[in-house]
Amino acid sequence: MFAYIVRRLAQSVVVLFIVLVFTFTLPYFEPHGILAPAYVVLGTKASPANVHTWGVQHGMYHPYIVRLWNYIVQVVWHRNLGFSYKQNLSVWGIISLYVPRTVWLALTALVLTFIIAVPLGIFQANKRNTVFDYTATGSAFVLYAIPSFLLCLLVLQVFSFGIVHLPASPPSGVAPWAIFTDPVGFILPVGTLTLLSVALISRFMRGTVLEVLVQDYIRTARAKGCSNRRVLFAHAFRNALGPIVTILGLSIPALFGGALIIESVFNYAGLGIETVNAATYLDSPTVLGITLLVSIFTLLGNLIADILLGVVNPRIRLQGEQ
Amino acid sequence: MTTEKSTEELEAMDLESREVPHDLVSGSLADELSLKPEGVVDKAGAVIPMWRQRVRIFMHNKLAIASVVYLVLVTLFCFLWPHLHPTNQTNQNLALTQPFNAPPSATHPLGTDSNGFDVLGRIAFGGEYSLTVGFLAGVVTIIVGTIYGMVSGFVGGIVDTVLMRILDAALSIPLLFLLITLVTLFSRSATFLILLIGLTGWFGNARIVRGDALLIRRLEYSQAATAMGATKWHIIRRHVFPNSISNIVTVGTFSVADAILFLSTLGFLGLGIQPPNTDWGTMLQNGSDQIANGYWWEIYPLAAIFILVVVAINYIGDALRDAFEVRLIER
Repeated sequence: MFAYIVRRLAQSVVVLFIVLVFTFTLPYFEPHGILAPAYVVLGTKASPANVHTWGVQHGMYHPYIVRLWNYIVQVVWHRNLGFSYKQNLSVWGIISLYVPRTVWLALTALVLTFIIAVPLGIFQANKRNTVFDYTATGSAFVLYAIPSFLLCLLVLQVFSFGIVHLPASPPSGVAPWAIFTDPVGFILPVGTLTLLSVALISRFMRGTVLEVLVQDYIRTARAKGCSNRRVLFAHAFRNALGPIVTILGLSIPALFGGALIIESVFNYAGLGIETVNAATYLDSPTVLGITLLVSIFTLLGNLIADILLGVVNPRIRLQGEQ
Repeated sequence: MTTEKSTEELEAMDLESREVPHDLVSGSLADELSLKPEGVVDKAGAVIPMWRQRVRIFMHNKLAIASVVYLVLVTLFCFLWPHLHPTNQTNQNLALTQPFNAPPSATHPLGTDSNGFDVLGRIAFGGEYSLTVGFLAGVVTIIVGTIYGMVSGFVGGIVDTVLMRILDAALSIPLLFLLITLVTLFSRSATFLILLIGLTGWFGNARIVRGDALLIRRLEYSQAATAMGATKWHIIRRHVFPNSISNIVTVGTFSVADAILFLSTLGFLGLGIQPPNTDWGTMLQNGSDQIANGYWWEIYPLAAIFILVVVAINYIGDALRDAFEVRLIER
């Protein structure tokens, strides 16, 4: 298991390096040239001399390889992600401001998704082809087809301006623990984000449990006189957990993508809105920093998912030790 | 499960492929596994081709047929309605003879929007872009994902490792972040959006195709073909590709739905098809500004059409998966 984790960590470093090079290289393909951000920072009527000075200050005239090397040295050696072109903040400052907010949002939704979708999927598989199953599957199907921004608007229309009057926007302070001090404000954004992923995960869980339920060991368990509940939760649940853990790990980028829409509809200053703004202002250090961070989250998520997979499945654990 | 698939494929080879020595497959292995052409023979005793059995399973699914009919109707509406009933969708009428935010009436069956454009006509107008971009982006996704996955899974070794690490890197960036960055950097033309959504959507497809290629390459019939001196290209063409086509088509169908959803999300962020043209996402965004004013006709009819289109495509994908599922054919 240990050797396996080490190998996975080494792989993750390689993957991170690819992400870094890719994101770093993107601005070089900018149609207006590498100096385009200068016009965003200094204004569209900036004089060529000023633009040139800006370019010199930001080391834009060094060759590509030198710039890439400098960036890597800064990130790895000095843990310095650079300074935003547009805002008077270091990239690390921006990240430490907004990341906790988005992570709380996404993490709460992830935990809630797990708590809701897994039992729902098992229950659906158990009661398959009943009215309940059809209703749940149908709703998941429709939910999965609604663009997330439209779902947000419908949720707002019903639960904020309609039958109840829940706050349409979470508290706008930057304290990341606001989710605990003012939970009412988070009901709609977290609820919508959860709903989006429950639609996906519960469908997946239902399919996995159905596949498990036709296996021989389930028949054996039933033949030995296991109660239905024990078959479902001791045998089927544990065996269906593997794919679900993997999917949850893989769904982290999608969760951040979903959070982006949730943040912009519910007006919650988080990483998503920040990325859109940074991309609009061609603020490449910020985009680069955030992308790297989200990649790290994803890779960590996948790693944790794989380790958990070893926990729930002894076969994988033992395979690693051989 | 593997044996089941392989026996099925042996049978398919027996029926379809004349290039493989007949006795080698059907003589020993197939008899040993007691393969009988049950359910694959029609009343006269003739063997029904594989694709006809698949079509038959698909046709049994009433909801799938309804989905296909719905999609065809929506597509026809989008592409024909602007010609049957032309409405002005480019110039705002500043003389105010054309009412803004007008409720449905005889002249405007679904009212007008905040720019005075006829909503019904605009749904067809925007649908042309949404459906075209979604479909073509899906096609790009299928082609790129299939080639990448096939190469990775079939060449193997160091090439596979490198290609898979690149894929890991691509999958660890949220797709929406990537799309937004690229759209702001480059262009918002329809052609670019097709390429962009297509070229960022194939990562999952490539994974699945690679898995298939890895699996099929190791199955007995591929090894038998190799032993008989078949080239790699021959094995890809005759064995790997036909056997992974089910996954390619199924996942490809979902890619089209995803592409339509991604285009609408870009439209919501103001990065979709730019004026004077429009797409459904941009229209929903415009309509949502009016939702609090009670102008329901600007958002709910389109929302219903849009959601049903995506549901229909996903349902067709599900039905296709069933049609390709070998275990169902035996029934």
